[in-house]
Order: sequence, then structure tokens, then C-alpha cells
Amino acid sequence: MTPADIRITAEPIDNGRCKFLVSEPLHAGGVRRFASPDEAQGSPLAEAIFAIPGADVAEVIVSGNLVTVVKRSPAAWQAVGKAVGHAIRGALAGPGPAIAPKAEAPASGGMDDALYERVADLFERQVNPMVARHGGRVELIDVQDAVVMVRMAGGCQGCGMADVTLRQGIEAMLHQHVPEVKGIVDITDHAAGSSPYFAAAKK
Amino acid sequence: MRLLLLLPTVTYRTVAFVEAARRLGVELTVASERPSTFEHANPAGLVTLDFTDPTRAAAQARAFARELPVHGVVGVDDDTAVIAAVVAEELGLRGNSVAAAAAARDKYQQRVLLAKAGVAVPRVECYPIASDSQELARHAPYPCVLKPLRLSASRGVIRADDAREFVAAFRRLKAMLEEPEVASCGEWARHLLVEEFIPGREVAVEGLVTEGRLRVLAIFDKPDPLDGPFFEETIYVTPSRLTPAAHQEITACTQATVTALGLRDGPIHAEIRYNDEGGWLIELAARPIGGRCSGALRFGAGVSLEEIVIRHALGMELPSLEREGQASGVMMIPVPRGGVLRHVRGVEEARAVPLVDAVEITAHPGQTLVPWPEGARYPGFIFAKGDTPEGVEAALRAAHGRLEFVIG
Repeated sequence: MTPADIRITAEPIDNGRCKFLVSEPLHAGGVRRFASPDEAQGSPLAEAIFAIPGADVAEVIVSGNLVTVVKRSPAAWQAVGKAVGHAIRGALAGPGPAIAPKAEAPASGGMDDALYERVADLFERQVNPMVARHGGRVELIDVQDAVVMVRMAGGCQGCGMADVTLRQGIEAMLHQHVPEVKGIVDITDHAAGSSPYFAAAKK
Repeated sequence: MRLLLLLPTVTYRTVAFVEAARRLGVELTVASERPSTFEHANPAGLVTLDFTDPTRAAAQARAFARELPVHGVVGVDDDTAVIAAVVAEELGLRGNSVAAAAAARDKYQQRVLLAKAGVAVPRVECYPIASDSQELARHAPYPCVLKPLRLSASRGVIRADDAREFVAAFRRLKAMLEEPEVASCGEWARHLLVEEFIPGREVAVEGLVTEGRLRVLAIFDKPDPLDGPFFEETIYVTPSRLTPAAHQEITACTQATVTALGLRDGPIHAEIRYNDEGGWLIELAARPIGGRCSGALRFGAGVSLEEIVIRHALGMELPSLEREGQASGVMMIPVPRGGVLRHVRGVEEARAVPLVDAVEITAHPGQTLVPWPEGARYPGFIFAKGDTPEGVEAALRAAHGRLEFVIG
């Protein structure tokens, strides 16, 4: 496998966030979220993405073969995306893992574990029964630094109203029931959804 | 401040508007025509309005606003632009009058009003779909265009150059209007328009109206000829390569349309033909550009069109409305042929084309693709930016050439 064989598809969510689907797995140990260059130390992929000039990257989330990049700069994904692709290829070609295993962090890790349990309970009791009415499912992937990472499936994956479900539904419930949660990140590959409950049409 | 955002469940615009509202920090209530499964869990953030009945929708919005004051309302498409006007009038919010929004929504009413006001529009007649097409064909002005009164995205718009084509087009459009999902939409679905075909180059105008005064945000060239027989759109590129004098005529034509319709406050999207006689208003909608196309527009320091629309509706200070310096374009990817989409190849190769910003495939595997004129869903969008409109257009075409839709 050479860097040229690695296929990367970019899916901008908006001008601030973009998902990159990679043909090769980047990290098999669950989800890793990096909210600063310091946190990225030891993970070559995250380090390289934070170092992209002019992008002002705020967050990098890696799960399986999916990389989500959040940036503050108004720069177009046209330029930033290519640099992210270069970083991904470089990290995969390196001698070590692209993403280091999650280090044990007793203080915040313990807090995240406790939040995970409460969020998982909320998902099981309330969130998933609600989205199930539209054939959907929301999987809690991880909680890191009080940020919840979810993946949508079934009728939610690719649904035209998925962002409304995420923001006005799930996030609002988290604020109400688990106010310690600081944010929510959707790491779903919506383009791969084969049965969205609502499919969009140009109007 | 609370924004009531009218989002039909089938819109492409969800992420752009919801995330814009979040960036602005406004309290957001999303109103749709079908209930969210979270509506009871978040009654402040989600509400159901009857988009088929503006009066009922206004009463529902009024009931909601009794509990939680609403400071602005935004509709994102043709139908919800009318609902937004009714709600704005009911709640005393910034927006268009109901009469103006309704006139913009109905293609026949729009043309009649504009013709009376002296705006250049194609000559048009409105006929019941029960009419004798053979008889109409004898008197039609050729070449002509048959179109429905309300369907969006050029759905059902067909050119006819002679009586034989007229009769075929009439039957085809009539069949579309008689489909249950369309026929149930109202009296308008029992009529169609026959209008003269206006030759020339077509442009799209994106604008913001404040107290009746138009501010043009962008003029897009549509470099692919839209001469029929169907009118599926493809490439939009801005800035327009027409002359400054042409831009002035196009702007004047759009402003005259806004004035004639009585539009007062909110976004507009206009389609204009330009030829030796000047600008001809083909259609104007009291809403922002559709699909994912707004992704081609950024203003000032990267502000989105949706942020501007929301700020305007809420009476917030507007940022710079100067579009970014680069040329920008979007291609609504044409439906290659009808059938079930299995797979799309070449996305990465398309994205690797210099100047291409993004390739978004919005059709999902297993989705049935329907070509125009019956269809109205593009399988995806390509975005590009560069120093020149020519370079952007070339990049869009090159990227499209690398895509392969596997259809079963």
C-alpha cells in the first residue's frame, strides 16, 4: 500500500467542519478526540492536522476510518482539505500508529466514564426509543472531555433532518438531563445512509 | 432572540440554517410540516406547523408565540416563504406581505403583475389541464415553454417548437400534475402555463431586500445553454462574465420585479434571461437560492448566506455583504439516467481536480434517480473556487467528468 493507493473522500458539513473518509483504518481503539495541539502530541496524524498553516484547527476526531476536522479559519476546505489529505497519507506511511492509544487519565477519564454511563442511560431510555419511531438509531461512541460522540444509523443516517434531530433533539436532551456535557459531535458517514427517513429535494 | 425557522422535512437546507443559527447564538425553534419524534421532549425547540394551510400555520405559530416570544421567522423554500409571510404578518415580524409572497409563489400571478408594471416578461397564458391540447397547439406561440404554476427546480418545464411537440409536452406535464402527491396540492395543479420562449443567456440573481430596496449579493452565470427541451440546471458561476452594463440592466430588472410584486423584506432568488433587448424576468422567488448551492457564497470574513438571512430576519446588524474576492461556482450534478443508484465512483478523483472545493453526493445508495422533467432531485453538488470564472467553470466540468454513477 503506497500513499497514492489511499483513497480519501471529504464531506464538508459547513465551512467550519469537514469529515474525511479514508479507505484505510486510522485508529482501531474507539474514538480519539483532540482539542488542542498539546493533546495531539504523540499522535502523528493529529499533530500534522493541527500544524496545517492558516487553518486554525480547533478539533480533530478520529474513529476507525473517519477523521472529523473542525477549524476556526474562514479558509475554504479546498485548500485545507488537501492539506488534511496530505497529513493522513503521511501519517499512514509513518513507522508507528497514526493515532496513539488513549492514555489513562484518572481525573478527567473518571469523569468521562461517569458521564458515559449517564448519557448511555439517557440514550437507552429516551433517545433511541424516540428515533426508533422513524427507523433510526443513535449509537453512543464515546465521551471525551465531556464531549459526546455519536453515530447515527438506520433512518437517521443520511436523513435530511438529521441535524435537527442532533441539535434540537439529542443535544437539547443532554443539556436538560446531563448538563455537564459540553458538546456533541456526530461522526456519522451520512453519505453512506441507504434508508434515510427524509430524503432531500431541491426547492 | 428566538428565530422560528420553517424547515420542510425534504429540504437540503437543514445543516446550513441550523448551524448558522447556532453560530449566531440565537434561540432556535425549528418548525416542520411533520412532527419530530423529539417535539414533546423539546417543545421550545421543535414545533409542527401545517405548511399546506397558511392560515392554520399562522394560528399554530401564534399559539406557540404566546408561550415563547418569537423575534424573527425565516422560510427556506417556495412554500415556506409564503408561510413565513403569513406568520410574520400574524406576529408583527419583519418580512414580506402575504400578498407579495403569494404573488411571487404563483408563476402566473407573478407574470400578470409584472406585465402590468411594465417589467419584461414572456407572454403567457394559463389553461386548465382538462383543455384540448390539439386545439391549444394550433394557437401556441412557437417556440414556447409549457410549465406548471408552482413546481420547483424546473420540474415539468418543457419546450415545444411545433404542434406535435406541444401535444406531447402537454400530455407529459398533465400526467405529472395528475400524480396524487401533486394533484392534492391545490387548484394550481389543475392548470398549466404556456409562455413564449425567450432566447438568450440565463443568469441567477441572489439578493436581499430591505424595505423594498434590493441589494444584489451575487449574479451567477449559467454557462450551459438552457434552450430545452428540458431545463435541468447545471453550473452556476459568479462573478458573472457579462458586461457591467448588462449587470446594471439585470439589477434594474430584478429591482423592478421586487417593486412590482411588493416584496419588502427578505431574500430573493431570480432567474433572468439576457439578450439584445435587455433583461427578461423568468421567475423570482422570495427565498434564498435552493439546494446546497448557497455553499458557493461567502461574504466578508467567511459569513454564510444563511447567517445573513437570519440576521436580517431578526433585525441584527448585518456584516459586510461584499462577496469574497475569488470566483466561485457550483454544479448541480445532472441525473445521468433513470434507475436505482448503486454506487458513485470517482469522488476522490473529482475532488482532486485543482480548484475543486468539495464534492457532495446527496443521493443515497438505493435511491431511485429520476431525470428531468419528471425529476427534481440532483444526485449531488460540486463546488469550486479560483481566480477566474473560466477556471472555476473548467474545474467543475473536469470534476464532473471523473464521476461515474453506477445505476441498476
